[in-house]
Amino acid sequence: MGLSVEYVVRETAGNLWRNRLMSLAAMLTIAVSLALVGSALLLKQGVATSTQAWKGGVQLLIFMQPNATNAQSKAIVTQLGTLPSVQRYSYVNKAVSYQEFRRLFANQPDLLNSVSEAQIPPSYRVVLKNPSEAPSIGQIFNGQPGVKAVDYNFAAIQTLEKVSSIAQGVIIGLAVILLLSATVLILNVIRVAIFSRRREVTVMKLVGATNWFIRIPFMLEGFTQGLVGALIAGAAVLGIRALFNYLIQRFQVHLLSGFVLTSHDVLMTELVVFAIGVVVGTTGSALAVRRYLDV
Amino acid sequence: MIRLENVYKSYAPGQFALKGVSLEVERGEFVFLIGPSGSGKSTMLRLLLREDIADQGSVWVAGKDLSKIPSWKVPYFRRNIGSIFQDFRLLPNKSAYENVAFALEVIGKSRKAAEKQVPQILELVGLADKMHRLPNELSGGEQQRVAIARAFVNRPLILLADEPTGNLDPETAWGVMRLLERINRTGTAVVMATHDVGIVDQMRRRVVEIDSGAIARDQIRGVYGLGVHQ
Ligand SMILES: Nc1ncnc2c1ncn2[C@@H]1O[C@H](COP(=O)(O)OP(=O)(O)O)[C@@H](O)[C@H]1O
Ligand SMILES: [Mg+2]
Repeated sequence: MGLSVEYVVRETAGNLWRNRLMSLAAMLTIAVSLALVGSALLLKQGVATSTQAWKGGVQLLIFMQPNATNAQSKAIVTQLGTLPSVQRYSYVNKAVSYQEFRRLFANQPDLLNSVSEAQIPPSYRVVLKNPSEAPSIGQIFNGQPGVKAVDYNFAAIQTLEKVSSIAQGVIIGLAVILLLSATVLILNVIRVAIFSRRREVTVMKLVGATNWFIRIPFMLEGFTQGLVGALIAGAAVLGIRALFNYLIQRFQVHLLSGFVLTSHDVLMTELVVFAIGVVVGTTGSALAVRRYLDV
Repeated sequence: MIRLENVYKSYAPGQFALKGVSLEVERGEFVFLIGPSGSGKSTMLRLLLREDIADQGSVWVAGKDLSKIPSWKVPYFRRNIGSIFQDFRLLPNKSAYENVAFALEVIGKSRKAAEKQVPQILELVGLADKMHRLPNELSGGEQQRVAIARAFVNRPLILLADEPTGNLDPETAWGVMRLLERINRTGTAVVMATHDVGIVDQMRRRVVEIDSGAIARDQIRGVYGLGVHQ
């Protein structure tokens, strides 16, 4: 069909420049909404990692010393088995603990490398019949021989999860509204572009330019706006991640100590942000082309 | 080359812009389509360009049944047909050269091909010395010549002209007519809608008169007003 790169680039760039203010508005709307989507995803992933050990109604964590003896472990198990408040418990061995540890501290390579699997404490996850008993039961185990630490922040974790899920809902809701407005904005930019190129379109149809030849520069304009918006949002996501990490380290928030964003999480977030940006840009322009470009 | 068989076309229910038109145009013919305003001339040319589809009957152009070609093939079909209009349809921000080159570019011709073909065709229409002027720096007749150059640059076998002299003074109009005659002599069939009595009477070509969407007369060497010159 002979769609020359030069032609497409020239037409697309020309259209973008002609409608630069509206294009900018569309791109910024996309950027803001995608930055919100990105933060929501990061929040979700971070909370998921930090609450990993508390899944399945676990209300109490007992961490053993790495070098706890068999006898010491047995003593703990016996107590867990006889205490009437304990519904059930599970033992987390070194290997599993180690994996969890690697995930939790993925963004602290120094720490990761300084601890070997052998140094990782095994732990017990305890489900209680009555969650409110967690502190008193925790006290029983705290300080026993072979026990390194006891953690019964279940209630706080629940609050954290609840707050974060509400926050995610609000952020995603806002982002969806913004993304819809971005789609409409792009649709409108492309509509204006089509209108300002109507003479060219008439001539192109007259002399036999193919429909795709006529459509592509307009589609590409919307695609570019989506992509640029996504790029800005992608940079924002990196910034937000850095901010999270800074806050966690700066304030040493105990609850958030497990709130880690792995490179994998960030990469996935960036991919989602890019995909949505491109889809929104292309959808907006496709709608405009379908509706307003009579080819 | 062109064949219409019992063609009907209406824009509103019950109101036919064309009702039962049958017509055949041979390769290399020159045909005037005459009739008062609103009689259906433009509608017929639109059907020939496949800008619209007939409600009934068949329209054959350049060996193709236009009701049967899929819409994605229409652009390729149009490349075989030149068309010019009363309002020229030039791009105001492009020079004469660029207007013609644009038409080549958007059908995928290389810049090299354009560099060769465009000056040639502008020379043919007598605008070699004005090819870098913008449309608003050219007279009406010159603008129509640019449009003719654009329509003819691919040497189509059919040229459709919808009142091409409608906006021109008589003298300029004659210049355009002589150019169309020359194009016709190269073997291109020309179908021209007009209500310019003087031109039709002096050219003495085939005349097809349309009245209220139906063919009222088809004469080999006709004139505009029936009986006036016979
Ligand atoms: N796009 C259109 N929508 C509705 N009616 C139209 C349209 N184009 C033409 N017509 C009607 O069809 C009839 C023929 O018009 P047209 O083919 O333009 O005639 P001519 O070119 O001979 O002046 C007229 O009655 C006109 O009002
Ligand atoms: Mg007309």
